[in-house]
Amino acid sequence: MAEIALDRVCKRFSDGTRVLNNASFRIQDGEFFVLIGPSGCGKSTLLNMIVGLEDVSSGEIRLGGRVINDLDPKDRNMAMVFQSYAIYPHMTVRENIGFPLRLAGVPNADLQRKVKEAAELLELSELLERKPASLSGGQRQRVAMGRALVRDPVAFLLDEPLSNLDARLRVQMRTEIGRLQKRLGTTMIYVTHDQTEAMTLGDRVAVLNRGEVQQIGTPRQLYRTPANLFVAGFIGAPGMNFVPAEVQASKIVLPFGEARLPESGYALSNRKLIAGFRPEACSVSVMAGNDDSSVVFRAPIDVVEWLGAELFVYSDIDLPREAATKSHDMFNKGRITLITRLDPSTQVRQGQSITLQLHVRDLHLFDAETGCNLAMTEKRLPLTSEKAR
Amino acid sequence: MQNRLERIFWSGFGVIVIIYALIPVVWIVSLSLKRPADLNDQRFFPSFISFDNYRAIFEDAQFPAALWNSFGIALIATTLSILLAMFAAYAIVRLAFPGKKLVLAGMLAISMFPPVSIIGPLFNLWRSIGLFDTWTGLVLPYMTFTLPLAVWTLSAFFRELPWDLDKAARIDGATPFQAFFHIIVPLAAPGVFTAAILVFIFAWNDFLFSTSLTSTNAARTVPAAIAFFTGSSQFEQPTGSIAAASVVVTIPVIVVVLLFQRRIVAGLTAGAVKG
Repeated sequence: MAEIALDRVCKRFSDGTRVLNNASFRIQDGEFFVLIGPSGCGKSTLLNMIVGLEDVSSGEIRLGGRVINDLDPKDRNMAMVFQSYAIYPHMTVRENIGFPLRLAGVPNADLQRKVKEAAELLELSELLERKPASLSGGQRQRVAMGRALVRDPVAFLLDEPLSNLDARLRVQMRTEIGRLQKRLGTTMIYVTHDQTEAMTLGDRVAVLNRGEVQQIGTPRQLYRTPANLFVAGFIGAPGMNFVPAEVQASKIVLPFGEARLPESGYALSNRKLIAGFRPEACSVSVMAGNDDSSVVFRAPIDVVEWLGAELFVYSDIDLPREAATKSHDMFNKGRITLITRLDPSTQVRQGQSITLQLHVRDLHLFDAETGCNLAMTEKRLPLTSEKAR
Repeated sequence: MQNRLERIFWSGFGVIVIIYALIPVVWIVSLSLKRPADLNDQRFFPSFISFDNYRAIFEDAQFPAALWNSFGIALIATTLSILLAMFAAYAIVRLAFPGKKLVLAGMLAISMFPPVSIIGPLFNLWRSIGLFDTWTGLVLPYMTFTLPLAVWTLSAFFRELPWDLDKAARIDGATPFQAFFHIIVPLAAPGVFTAAILVFIFAWNDFLFSTSLTSTNAARTVPAAIAFFTGSSQFEQPTGSIAAASVVVTIPVIVVVLLFQRRIVAGLTAGAVKG
């Protein structure tokens, strides 16, 4: 049981491609730590480096203070569950789960007892004599889990363990994995590209993009104060809406309206900004105009998605020419699609338009050049947003 | 209707091929069962079945010795060749090392090399270092000439195995060798058997090396020994004995293939990964 620390870990392949750049973080003992990012962001490479399947190009990986860069995978006592499960097809479930113990030279009586315990925990007792070929996807997944937990490792590493399961089973196994981790109290490092898994399971989540760690924090922190445009757009489904913004005197000007800023925001004038807001930040305006700290605007309804508990409305908004092209590449097209999540009882139809209001405290302001969230980089918080604190 | 015609076409074709392939075999069996006097009776099936030819070849000291040599040499060559090929194939499939392409190309070149061209030098070499007319003297060339085939066959099988399996084994606490022997070899068993049978048949059937690199019963194998059969008198052809010996040497090959046929059937990896 020990803390896993990564210190400026880099990975370069021999052809010069950098897949991971200066990753530094600590994973506490017993923590459920999630690595999330789009495919090719280096998250699986990072996992393989922690478990010892890939060399570390530079930097240090420490386990309980001891550098383990050059330690053989078999001596790290970490267990891994692969996306493909990688259970041994020529062995029965019993032999599969017992394999790590057999290699460790555990006496047979102990081995059988531990396999039995693990099988009970995972409800595999009935299947012990079966071969993997006759198991379903979910059962194979559990065998892989059983093989991981049977030898009491210092950490579990899971590489997209649920991505091969169908939707219903995925939800069920997700809950089971969360419960199992809480029960065992073992450190778990979980790689996924699915943000539902990251948000529901992780004590802390690290967001990776192009080999760089973008932000590390609790799911709540990532959602409420995303560090930059990437995290803001990646976390949340659908992601944040972005529009070019400008501060003029005491007002913030968006392409579709303006609102009064709190005094702390005045210092931002004459900077290129991008304002972001969550789809649920907008609501149907009931009273027009008398609240000057909200932006009130008409939005055309282009697509309506009604999901029963949720209602998404897609609106195409034209950007004023000069604001559009200069502030950021993503506004090049001159128009953006806003996604808003409204009360599902709202009556809306495609082709109509709707009056929406957006409170200024729900805006996230990003520097258009660096993409950083100004709430994190500026000493003075530009927007007092009680909800976020 | 279409379906039935198609079936008739394919099965008819199969029957023709089988008949074509089996006629010489049936002929040899028929010859071996004829009495020496009936050999030229121009009948396809013997009019009287006798086992005189079989008795004759086993009474001669030459044939049992050759049979023993054949078994020993072929088995040793197969074992060594497969063992080496397993390691080589695994390295080629799983490791990135400089000169990998060169190794593969070199092996392919060796397998295309006409063996007859090295017989002369090999004969002189073996004589001067004392390997002439020994088992080792035959095992070595058999191994060498079958290795490329074995490596190529095995690497094709290894390539099919999901790499995650050896990674998983390494994490489960296996050394690279343990991962290889506990996980990879059992899973590649069909490939190992396929390669082994091919190597065995090559060594078993070889005539060229055996006839050139041996001189006595100490190491001469069956195909070469058959060539040294003599009739009971100088005016009699040993056709019957040759036929009987040919039937006898064919039997082990058939047995080996039938025995391992089941293992060769692939599908052992089913269920390893979701596919």
